[in-house]
Amino acid sequence: MFFRIIPKREIPELVRGLASQFHVIGPVAKDGSFVYAPLSAPAELRLDYDTTLLPAKEWFFPSSETLMRFTVADNVVIDDSVDETKRVLFGLHPCDVNSLLLMDNVFLGDNPDPYYKARRDNTLIVGVSCMPNEHCFCNAWGTDETHWGFDIFLSDIGEDYYASIRSVMGAELVDRYVAGRPITDDDTAAFQRRTAEFKAAFTNDVDTSQLPVLLDAKFDSDIWEKLGEKCLACGACSMVCPTCYCFDVHDVLEADQLTGCRVRTWDSCQFKEFAEVAHGHNFRDTRASRVKYRYYHKQWGYLSKFERVLCVGCGRCTRACKAQINPPRVVRALQTGLVD
Amino acid sequence: MTTHLSAAPIVVNPYRPSPARITSIIDLTPMEKLFEFRLIGDAAREAFDFQAGQFVELSIFGVGEAPISISSAPSKQGFIELCVRNSGDVTGALHSKKCGDIVGLRGPFGRGFPFQEMKGHDILLVAGGLGIAPLKSLINHIHDDRHDFGKVTILYGSRTPADILFRAQFDMWRHRDDFDLILSVDQPDETWDGAVGLVTKLFDTIDVDPKGTYGAICGPPVMYKYVIAEMRKKAMDADHIYVSFERRMKCGIGKCGHCGVGHQYACIDGPVFNYWEAMNLQEAI
Amino acid sequence: MAPRVVVLSLASDFGCQVQLSNMTDEILDVLGVIDLGYWQLASSGHMPTEYDVAIIEGAVTTDEHLELLRDVRQTAAVVIAMGACANTGGIPGLANLVDLDERYTVVYGSGSALKVAPGKRAPMPLDEFIHVDYHVPGCPIDTSEFLRVLSHVLLGMKDRVPNLTMCASCKLNQTVCFFDRGQLCLGLVTRAGCGARCPSLNRPCTGCRGVAPDANLESARTIIVAAGHRADALENGLRIYNTSQEVRG
Repeated sequence: MFFRIIPKREIPELVRGLASQFHVIGPVAKDGSFVYAPLSAPAELRLDYDTTLLPAKEWFFPSSETLMRFTVADNVVIDDSVDETKRVLFGLHPCDVNSLLLMDNVFLGDNPDPYYKARRDNTLIVGVSCMPNEHCFCNAWGTDETHWGFDIFLSDIGEDYYASIRSVMGAELVDRYVAGRPITDDDTAAFQRRTAEFKAAFTNDVDTSQLPVLLDAKFDSDIWEKLGEKCLACGACSMVCPTCYCFDVHDVLEADQLTGCRVRTWDSCQFKEFAEVAHGHNFRDTRASRVKYRYYHKQWGYLSKFERVLCVGCGRCTRACKAQINPPRVVRALQTGLVD
Repeated sequence: MTTHLSAAPIVVNPYRPSPARITSIIDLTPMEKLFEFRLIGDAAREAFDFQAGQFVELSIFGVGEAPISISSAPSKQGFIELCVRNSGDVTGALHSKKCGDIVGLRGPFGRGFPFQEMKGHDILLVAGGLGIAPLKSLINHIHDDRHDFGKVTILYGSRTPADILFRAQFDMWRHRDDFDLILSVDQPDETWDGAVGLVTKLFDTIDVDPKGTYGAICGPPVMYKYVIAEMRKKAMDADHIYVSFERRMKCGIGKCGHCGVGHQYACIDGPVFNYWEAMNLQEAI
Repeated sequence: MAPRVVVLSLASDFGCQVQLSNMTDEILDVLGVIDLGYWQLASSGHMPTEYDVAIIEGAVTTDEHLELLRDVRQTAAVVIAMGACANTGGIPGLANLVDLDERYTVVYGSGSALKVAPGKRAPMPLDEFIHVDYHVPGCPIDTSEFLRVLSHVLLGMKDRVPNLTMCASCKLNQTVCFFDRGQLCLGLVTRAGCGARCPSLNRPCTGCRGVAPDANLESARTIIVAAGHRADALENGLRIYNTSQEVRG
């Protein structure tokens, strides 16, 4: 990795430069919150955002996408092309950069998903540092830092960004569009100070000790019944989660009923029908069993395959869940045996 | 700002079904039919290499996809047999198809029975209801390599005599001495001269060499626990008892999440697990 | 052969039929795949005696409605309940909150009820009386949902009316939750399927699609009270479209 100092005042120039080559997506304000959206001007970019309503996965794995178009009469695929739009996702926090690495394990591992892969291959990632808010707990999983998974990462050191550059493309773009300068020892010291402030600012304390053991050993604990009583079964947690990758597929016909689209949409293990099979048996009929499965899979099922938990501590589900079911609380319940 | 929209066709798309022609349809019961398919194109047919216990995604555009286990034996190449109950939109649509119609197939998916490992051993197969469908593949595969196996016992329980699948074949097999086939029904009718009661009751009538036998079980979710208990009573090893699970395999490639069982996915880690593995899957049995 | 379809209305404001006429991009294609035998809003002729699919809008509010409904069920292979009135009793169901005779007197004058509406009944949705094959809820219906259901009917698929609540759709729209703005929103318990259209237009959900079978009403009530709303806010809000459900329990 190599580094550059990029003055903050040069960011609009960088964005303008990127926009001449790419579709630039970044955090913009919406109704008092923020969303990742295409930028129509560099000034719209809000690198001071706290979090976005939906995570960055939307730009690789859209909430609804056509996998293929088909004809009904002869059961034939007439189009299954992928989206190769050149994009830059500008302004991802470390949690969101890390979340994409977790999604990659699923979508780019065995049997790679061509739709996800095409978008991933054609999208540059520019990360930006942040300060934790009251819902953040990325430090619990070590996803508060990111050392790969981006082309450029901008760490705020006051007037300037301390930019880590990870890819050839990132280096070329920085060279082309910003003046910048090499780093000095003072800059690195500022970066370290800033990192220390960041680490000290977390207010959530999540005890992640031995979660896989606890999930199995306390599988029959009544904490799940208590959480199930609260759960609205609405799936909001899955929708806003940057690491939830479950999906459903259904066919939608044109009004003439001759052709149609096979469409993939985000799904949630919290929906009642999620684990129901054709003959009517539902393997997770109760809300309690579904809440439990969500945590069991994230903290153990995924871990058993990829050696990481399937959570980056972004706090979006904490905000979204009206029933106040969230990882810090559930982990606390697992540790203590009590739902507080 | 500039937008560069572009699109490209996909070379390898695991979600894209391959066209397959229905070459035979046999009515088994009012609810179940046996379909034979041939993939269209020599390359597709040759590439389709499967194990007993694996499944395919059956695709009917406009309606959707459904996971169906393969009933034909890997030893018979060139066609794929699926025993399908009319129980949902896709299977319902398939039931209304006729010979010559084209549907889509994806697969084969999942982990099947460890056929090579089972060789040289006695085999005890236990099926309940539609659970005979994947076991039929294994039975036929064993049949085609019969000299590689010891004693082969098949216990097959159905609700009523009319619900027995592949009955014509099994009626013939009842008199073979290289397969011990015992059929049982919960509700007999006046024509029934076989065993009556749950399939677990049949264990009293069979002898099992505990260390020399591999078990294979497939049936309704409620059945596993009891059949495994019987096999354990016969002192069979946990890792010699294989179960095939039905779950909602939607994508078949470990992505969509619907077939999660414990910490694994039935579509890539299963649907066939040995009992030791299954014991370690929460809520599996 | 294209199935013969009839569209008829019981007690309603014809709003869902108007929605059908609003499908300007699709209506010609739809007419190409069905044999439209009768459309109450648009046809000048009479309803045929033989048909395959009946699309029924409106709640049952008179004996005459009920008789018609039972006749239709006898004739049609497929019955589709269209709109809030047909699915939950909808707005006509509000009459269940008051004394029916008294209400007719207030509106039409004393002794009027028999003349104006002979055989009047407490307003009820269709499936109080007959088996309904497909449900397209909402006030008014969402035409893209209607078209999806029509495909399901033509393909002989099962009814797939969603059983889950609205919140996930709102998340996908990136709508800021009304509870986070201090407002009550019935999306917490209301049946999904409209794409959370009202919230995306900055109006909280009013529950026109009925209570979702998978909703957790008890938890929702607790959440609503904790958010500073009245204890009966949920029940009160749901009454706009769901009183018939409440009455029949």
